[in-house]
Amino acid sequence: MADKENTKSAGGGVAFTQEAAQAQAAAAISAIPASLKEFRCPTCNRVFASLTDLKAHCAEEHPGSVVPETIPLHINGKDCEVLIEPHWTLQRALQFRLGLTGTKHMCNRGVCGSCTVIMGGRAVLSCTTLAIECGGQPIITIEGIAADPKWKPLIDAYCRWDAMQCGYCTPGFLVSAKALLDKNPHPTEEECREALAGNICICGTYPRHSTAIIEAALKMAKEA
Amino acid sequence: MADLAGVNGQRESFRVVGKPNLPGILSYALATGVAKFGIDYVLPDMLHAKFLRSPYANAKVLRVDTTKARAIPGVVDIVTWEDEDIKQLSSTPFGFGARRPWLDNIADQENAEVAVIVVAENEDICEEALRQLDIEWEVLPHVVDILKGRQADAPVIRPPEFNNFAADMFAPRPDPEHPKRGNVSFAITVQGDVDAGFKEADQVIEYDLKMPTFASHIPNPPGSAAWWFDDPYYGGGKSLHIEGAVQRKDAIGAMYGMPPEKTVQEGLFQGGKYCDWGMRKSQEITPLLARRTGRPVRCVNTREETFDFLMNERYMHLKVGIKNNGLITAVDDFSISDGGAQGNSAFGTANDQGYGPYYTLKCQNIRQSMEIVDSNRGKMYLSGQHCPFNWDAGTMAIYLIAEKLDRDPIDIAKLNLHGPTAQTDESPVPSFEACLEEGKKLMNWNWHRAGDKTLPDGRRHGASFRYQICPRHAFSGYDCKLELRKGQVHMPTQGPCTGIYAVECNAMVVAEELGLNYEDIKVDFDYRETFTPVGGGSDGTTASSWAMKECANILKQKILEAAAEEAENPPPPSMFSFGQPQEPSPLKGHKPGELDIVDGSVCVRADPSKAVPLARATSKNIFATYSGRPPASIWSTGMGRMLDTMNTAYCEVAVDTETGEVEILRFGVVADPGKVMRPTSLESQIDQVMFFSQGCQLLEEYVYDERTGVRLTANMLDYKKPTILDIPPVERRFLETRAGNAAYGASGISHSLANTHMVIIAIHNAIGVWVDPPATPDKVLKALGKA
Repeated sequence: MADKENTKSAGGGVAFTQEAAQAQAAAAISAIPASLKEFRCPTCNRVFASLTDLKAHCAEEHPGSVVPETIPLHINGKDCEVLIEPHWTLQRALQFRLGLTGTKHMCNRGVCGSCTVIMGGRAVLSCTTLAIECGGQPIITIEGIAADPKWKPLIDAYCRWDAMQCGYCTPGFLVSAKALLDKNPHPTEEECREALAGNICICGTYPRHSTAIIEAALKMAKEA
Repeated sequence: MADLAGVNGQRESFRVVGKPNLPGILSYALATGVAKFGIDYVLPDMLHAKFLRSPYANAKVLRVDTTKARAIPGVVDIVTWEDEDIKQLSSTPFGFGARRPWLDNIADQENAEVAVIVVAENEDICEEALRQLDIEWEVLPHVVDILKGRQADAPVIRPPEFNNFAADMFAPRPDPEHPKRGNVSFAITVQGDVDAGFKEADQVIEYDLKMPTFASHIPNPPGSAAWWFDDPYYGGGKSLHIEGAVQRKDAIGAMYGMPPEKTVQEGLFQGGKYCDWGMRKSQEITPLLARRTGRPVRCVNTREETFDFLMNERYMHLKVGIKNNGLITAVDDFSISDGGAQGNSAFGTANDQGYGPYYTLKCQNIRQSMEIVDSNRGKMYLSGQHCPFNWDAGTMAIYLIAEKLDRDPIDIAKLNLHGPTAQTDESPVPSFEACLEEGKKLMNWNWHRAGDKTLPDGRRHGASFRYQICPRHAFSGYDCKLELRKGQVHMPTQGPCTGIYAVECNAMVVAEELGLNYEDIKVDFDYRETFTPVGGGSDGTTASSWAMKECANILKQKILEAAAEEAENPPPPSMFSFGQPQEPSPLKGHKPGELDIVDGSVCVRADPSKAVPLARATSKNIFATYSGRPPASIWSTGMGRMLDTMNTAYCEVAVDTETGEVEILRFGVVADPGKVMRPTSLESQIDQVMFFSQGCQLLEEYVYDERTGVRLTANMLDYKKPTILDIPPVERRFLETRAGNAAYGASGISHSLANTHMVIIAIHNAIGVWVDPPATPDKVLKALGKA
């Protein structure tokens, strides 16, 4: 068969094997800076060396404007400091500050589940959760699940069963599935459906999710 | 027809094609969240842009003063429709209707982009700047009820310069005897002698139906991020990088005078557009704003700003002449269709007359006349998953004939469907007959008259049946390239990933033809490559796979020639094998025609034990190219007047006459796509269209405030899409008659199973009264006279 060493893609260099995707997810987590080195003014884009300097600048130059804050987040097992504005959602902070783009923006009002993350052990909707209220709570995003080999059977099963078409909503479904399996390692089909009731897939992949989850649960039980 | 023109089109044994559960090539990227969609791009120093959106359904911006907005800290740029930069923009070829300035001061629907674009350090500042614009609006009368809009005294809403209805890749069919009047354009298509057909009829059936409008819902809100960068490799100067306009980067580059080689787009992913290929302004504007500001610019619609139509509303009145045995003698189809905002696709209106259910009938006396009403309701881009939209008018005709004659609708359909070659062909269509046979078994089909069956729990039982063509409407040609490099076969493609598993099917066909496994084909995604499998959905997939099949066989021939040559004349030893004894190749002495590739090895066909692994059979890198397309499908040439691959669908419902609640007990689908290429995604595609159909018939509804013309349900809270708890079971059976003429006799499935009235008909069969979609409990009770 083909030369197994030759796994790198040509052309644009885009490779999407399981290993590559897992590595990219892990790299996205690694790239999260533990601490902030610059503090950028959201109004004029000037950069400051400290939050104190930034706040002083905001008070002086942009009175009445939104004053940024820093919050400590514990994302995918990594502690980090994040500069946000008080009205920012967690989804916005994940995408715009931490580069974690697997938490998808879709309905922006807590209906579709594409932005689901696990916080404190519960699946929550990050588009309706204020980032400023998330300080110190353990948060798991799809990148954290993808980078953890323990969850490879779940991701494998999703891919084997085409539990995605365009794939935009898929990370949200997977996070909900992981939250389910954390609590219930052997869910029934009905329990899967209930757990995913808050996730909307416009491509109509619904019947495939419980198939994938149950297959993954069986495999994970065997591997445990 | 069948795949007779292509290499191995009649292949009998398959190792790869048709195999289930092969992961999609991009599935891991999607599942793990590492796939970046356009709106995911965040760049250092990036600015944000927002359009002014109209709060009115129909209005004109007479004057705008941007002074206060410009003074807001963080506002970087404001452009208006009067700026030269904006005036010089022109829309891409996927725009429809009379050309209109790319941005002007006319807002012809609520939430329309109009007049002003603000660029600022963040979206919140953009919003504030938009609020601080001093705008003088001229609020104009609007039309959101097309039945009122067609009346003689209705206000005329469209400026005369944009007065014609949309024209696109198929010519519209204006009615020459009826020029536009008020808001109404007229289209007509006539075949045969309709009056004579009615004279011939023993009975005439007349009925009304309302086609619902529903939302396109591209999952990722459309938007883009663009920036300019120094590019010394392609003639110096700046090149454009744009993300978020998958497949349209060259068209957008052209808007800014950029050749393809200087327009970069790495992103492959675009949420399921499902034929909604029209670019939104947010996807086209960022290069201009990035050029003006010298910084990357991101512009993304909100979900609420992306509630465009997947289908236009239509009211239909049909008159069908029949003989006493149920044979249709004439069809007179009159409809009033929402022409939407200017630029609405003609696929939602006049283009429907070119194909559809009527041309599958033996009856050749057909008149389709349509009033297309300009409105301020919204806009449909290009096409939708339900095209052709009027198919359910024919489905309903068959149901009503069956009811009237107390016959099974399947028998009525069989009686009226013409044969494979023409409307005059009386012979049965093998694919249709096979689908029916399997469908009856699948559904345990036992027809009953309306209202005649009560379930043990007291609810009323209803059922419906529908047939359709499995179309292949992919007209595109394909430029394929394959490469054997260091023993591995590479398939370069620009993708993209839009919700269909197209490149996977291409790779499966290549593996099949080359005697390899699916995993052995390395798909290299590169935006600079020319090959794309897109050209429709599954039908584009099968057509592009046909072309890739030809390419694979060209590559195979070259590999065998190279292997035979190297067996005779081994290349000099490499640095690593220098001095080592070289065994003679087992292929030595054999001509290319005596060789084959089996299980990853080049072997002697007559003695497969004489084999060399592909990676060692030749040291050469070998390219193969093929440009072409399969023969035109009979769908595209006959538009229903010839038939090859078909499908049938069934629906069973239970209706609670006390609560008005409708439960779909199950959908059944028997489809003959000719040849099943990738069963897992074919199943998924069928589920999708059935859930689309469920949504528009039971749940989804655009509600307008008639006084203001504002859409009240343009968000995902108030506009109800089916969830995993709502969906019914979908039971499917696939047949393989190999009657299509794309790869291996495959055709397509695409939109053909989507429907707007199969559930509605089943409800009628349950309770004996009609309920317009969406059949919500209150409407059902009202129809029953209980509310």
